[in-house]
Amino acid sequence: MKDVAVIGAGMTVFRRRMLETGKELSFLATKMAMEEAGIEKKDIDMVVMGSAPDAFDGIHMKGENLSDGAAGTGKPYVRVFNGGGTGVFAPIAGWWHVASGAADIALVVCEEKMGSCYPHPQTAFRHIWDPILDRPLNPNLVWLFAMEMNRYMSVYNIKKEDIARVAVKNKRNAVGHPCAQIPDEKITIEDVLNSEVMAWPVQRLDISPPSDGASALIFCSADKVRQFTDDPVFVSGVGWNIDSTMWTNRDLYFPQYVANAAKMAYKMAHINNPRKEIDFAEPYDPFDYKELHHMEGLLLCKKGEAPILTREGVTERDGDMPMCPSGGLMGVGNPIAATMGQKVCELYWQLAGKAGKRQIPGDPRIGVGQAWGDIMQMGTVIVMRRG
Amino acid sequence: MTFLEKQTDPTSPMHWRGDMQADYLYPNGWAGDRFFKNLRDKGTFLATRCPKCSKVLFPARLYCEDCFVEIPENNWIEVPTSGIVRLYTFAKLDAHWEPLEKPRCMALIDIEGTDGSILGVLDVEETDEDLTGLPVEALLRPVKEREGTMKDIVCFKPSV
Ligand SMILES: [Zn+2]
Repeated sequence: MKDVAVIGAGMTVFRRRMLETGKELSFLATKMAMEEAGIEKKDIDMVVMGSAPDAFDGIHMKGENLSDGAAGTGKPYVRVFNGGGTGVFAPIAGWWHVASGAADIALVVCEEKMGSCYPHPQTAFRHIWDPILDRPLNPNLVWLFAMEMNRYMSVYNIKKEDIARVAVKNKRNAVGHPCAQIPDEKITIEDVLNSEVMAWPVQRLDISPPSDGASALIFCSADKVRQFTDDPVFVSGVGWNIDSTMWTNRDLYFPQYVANAAKMAYKMAHINNPRKEIDFAEPYDPFDYKELHHMEGLLLCKKGEAPILTREGVTERDGDMPMCPSGGLMGVGNPIAATMGQKVCELYWQLAGKAGKRQIPGDPRIGVGQAWGDIMQMGTVIVMRRG
Repeated sequence: MTFLEKQTDPTSPMHWRGDMQADYLYPNGWAGDRFFKNLRDKGTFLATRCPKCSKVLFPARLYCEDCFVEIPENNWIEVPTSGIVRLYTFAKLDAHWEPLEKPRCMALIDIEGTDGSILGVLDVEETDEDLTGLPVEALLRPVKEREGTMKDIVCFKPSV
């Protein structure tokens, strides 16, 4: 297997209901990544598109629809998706295009246009359930997460305010992000605790917003990377794992599938002690409690310890183990697959020292990004390192 | 084995009747916004010229997909609402596979002065003649009825 480096990344602003089509969003993110890498379309050998269910954009086979905006025309091109896991899985697919030797340079583009689904993308989530067992009860996805959050809180006796801290931290972190949809410098724990209850214990400010947006990453094989940069960032491990679709039969307090994916990635990256060796992480945070849940799934702390570390400030940008320095989905926005921008592009920007106002102090050398999807069952993990 | 039994009544297995309800608002896009506002208000077509390969993209687009460059502001041009039939068929069934009242001619029209084409209805009776290369002209809805969508183009009529 070849070593794989990142040579460019791009990201559009994230907003609700943008004028731009999915193709145009893809083009803008791709162009930014190509400009950073200093390459043109002809230099790209293969293209991977990541985009979650067709039902958001409202275009069946949207991978094909998006291809011309993703520099895919006339090239080997494939769309991959596994729901919310796509933002990390698409770059995993980009990685294997290069690691296998099939491509020297592979472009990964992720796009989501949730605003087309009207009046609310929640209507698309109505169709992801088992049609025989779940759908006749007309469930809302928030109910499901409320049950999981409740279980997590009750197993470890976690207070709601210790979860709200994550929302506050990430919305504040997002203040330095040029693409951010809902940064908020002044938000407080009380604001979160006083927001509308959607399904107890989930409140409005516990949830990330639906968004339109796109992001892009360019991978290059290690033997070609020196022509682009002297200080490359490498992908050092990838992992992915799925748990049973029979979610009713699992204990939801711990995301075992995320732990399985993390172990796979850490083994590849020769990481034996993730807590010590990993400098920062971008755990998937579509809800504030998910950051804590995923921190534990990523084995970055003991089970039930994530809320305590958060309360102690360990996960702040200037803490010992920063979580979501990008501002995450909670602050930057949640165009499902395009959150590759926070979960993977951010690793690159942080490790390359290009994160601007969001730059983690010190000298971060190893970061891990993670996404999560389907019916609380898919974990996707990527580890990156500098030099 | 149940799969060896021939099933003629789809409702005979016990079932639950569901739907996949989802409604959409599709924005016209950044380039489309300008193209369709112009079609609605001025009744003309807009195209964009690629600064690199000089192809005239129709309908107007934000980028050239071959060169992968953005179209600069002064590369927007107005083009005729006429063109030439490149491909066509006489459809007898509609999108739901129901018979159409009379055959409808669906055609790809190469738009004059551009390197692009558009799908449209051709206002002709069914014929055995080869319509390839037929010069045609767009018929637009009256100004007051235009909404800034593809439906503003009623059909293409053979040029007189
Ligand atoms: Zn061109």
